[in-house]
Amino acid sequence: MNERVIAVVTAGLTTPSSSRLLADQLSAAVADELSGRGITSRTETIEVRDHAHDLTNNLLTGFPSAELREVLETVESADALIVVSPTFSASYSGLFKMFFDVLDDQALAGKPVLLGATGGTERHSLVLDFALRPLFAYLKALPVPTGVYAASTDWGPNAAGLRPRITQAASELVAALHHETPTKADPFTNPTPFADLLNS
Amino acid sequence: MQFGVFSVGDVTEDPTTGVTLSEGERIKAMVAIALKAEEVGLDVFAQGEHHNPPFVPSSPTTQLGFIAAQTSKIILSTSTTLITTNDPVKIAEDYAMLQHLADGRVDLMMGRGNTGPVYPWFGQDIRNGIALAVENYALLRRLWREDVVDWEGKFRTPLQGFTATPRPLDDVPPFVWHGSIRSPEIAEQAAYYGDGFFHNNIFWPITHTKQMIELYRRRFEHYGHGAADQAIVGLGGQVFMRKNSQDAVREFRPYFDNAPVYGHGPSLEDFTRETPLTVGSPQEVIERTLSFREHFGDYQRQLFLIDHAGLPLKTVLEQLDILGEEVVPVLRKEFAALKPAHVPDAPTHASLKVAAERARALETIEEPAVVAEPTAEEPTR
Ligand SMILES: Cc1cc2nc3c(=O)[nH]c(=O)nc-3n(C[C@H](O)[C@H](O)[C@H](O)COP(=O)(O)O)c2cc1C
Repeated sequence: MNERVIAVVTAGLTTPSSSRLLADQLSAAVADELSGRGITSRTETIEVRDHAHDLTNNLLTGFPSAELREVLETVESADALIVVSPTFSASYSGLFKMFFDVLDDQALAGKPVLLGATGGTERHSLVLDFALRPLFAYLKALPVPTGVYAASTDWGPNAAGLRPRITQAASELVAALHHETPTKADPFTNPTPFADLLNS
Repeated sequence: MQFGVFSVGDVTEDPTTGVTLSEGERIKAMVAIALKAEEVGLDVFAQGEHHNPPFVPSSPTTQLGFIAAQTSKIILSTSTTLITTNDPVKIAEDYAMLQHLADGRVDLMMGRGNTGPVYPWFGQDIRNGIALAVENYALLRRLWREDVVDWEGKFRTPLQGFTATPRPLDDVPPFVWHGSIRSPEIAEQAAYYGDGFFHNNIFWPITHTKQMIELYRRRFEHYGHGAADQAIVGLGGQVFMRKNSQDAVREFRPYFDNAPVYGHGPSLEDFTRETPLTVGSPQEVIERTLSFREHFGDYQRQLFLIDHAGLPLKTVLEQLDILGEEVVPVLRKEFAALKPAHVPDAPTHASLKVAAERARALETIEEPAVVAEPTAEEPTR
């Protein structure tokens, strides 16, 4: 089978970033799961922080810079997506949301997505299901049932506790991969004929 | 190749002086810019249409008529005429009237308008933007081409036995450009009718503009109006020039940083790289403009935006002097030398009149044919 491309969008702000840490663990688990099934894969990791200015500019001017355009295209053309947002004020961070505001609203249609979030307190783990899941439902993506939330306490002696969730989520994402992504109509290759525009 | 300027008609504070023109001053400044454009030898003056502050030009034919009375050569055009929210009957009448007054020095650029609230003010809904552009323009074409029109559509009261007056000058409707930024449907519309396609690329990267123009050219050929490289293409541009490049950058930066649309966003340098904006010496503008041809093919009309973001009239008139003396003469020569013979110029009233007379002469020789709209099945020139 062809090489699968997994895009990883992580929106941590600090260095080292716990969101990046989680993103790396998730993408390693997905790659393992794929290679276990004899499928080669490539991971493209995108730190949203690196594109913070370009995202703002895109919101103001209506178009992405050349560099940001490449990043958006990477996400759009990937076979599956892993996303990780830090929890800010009980939701995804503003920067994380900006990335998906700028992305074409059809770009993720039919794409399997693994939802991840980090936070200061484990009491906010429902951010996955109350904030991230509706966003990706709106974008017509296919978020897998298991999301992974890591609070500060999950990085200490409890770290092993996250493992089963990570493995579960990774195997769900790989299972979802077998779905064919619906082909998107390209209005430049196949424009709506004018007769149809006139009669619609 | 035609060169000109297009004005949005914004009233914006000059960020370097804090001066904001009154509406009256801005309207008169636009007139002064148009007159100067003719004086320095440009071919086209186009102006926007807006119905909300901070823009002044709500009534383009009033203003263009006033300019027509004081000019004799320059083509008066729009950038754009709101085909979505204006009644096509009124557009047909206003611009036929202007044609007579301006002795045919009139064409139009259709646009949908990107200001959401304008639609409900005129009883429309922005979600019907494309459908309105398609239906209204189809009616407008008939009003100009048929003396008596029976018509029924979705968006306007039906017409029975209606005649738009005055009839177009010499029975030749004004040439129409379809202005577009992101809608492939509008490229398709322009191609279907064999009209001009103007991509307002001033805020957009080349990759996108290229995609739109290539679509228009391909479909123009598909509908039988000629080869793809014979399609009628217009482009925007945005320039600010001084003899020394650094002086241009220094003087323009505060206007850029505070401009409506892109102000407080990307840096001048980033925006210059990504979009057609060129701030520098006349030579840099010449080189940049010539590079458009390499990306988009031979094209027929180049309009520059030079008067927005609060730039004072005196500065704008200086920019026109530089365009007229140093930039456009060189561009005319260079573009003409590069253009193959089979690529047509932009249609004008005179060329359309000749073509119409020739078509009529052919008709009387052959059997009398009905002059009809191209149908989807069998496109005609
Ligand atoms: C403005 C702000 C708001 C935050 N709000 C929350 C919150 O509501 N719940 C939570 O668990 N953590 C909250 N945090 C903590 C971050 O979610 C946590 O530090 C995160 O894991 C940092 O990720 P990073 O290391 O990848 O940057 C907040 C942090 C900031 C800066």
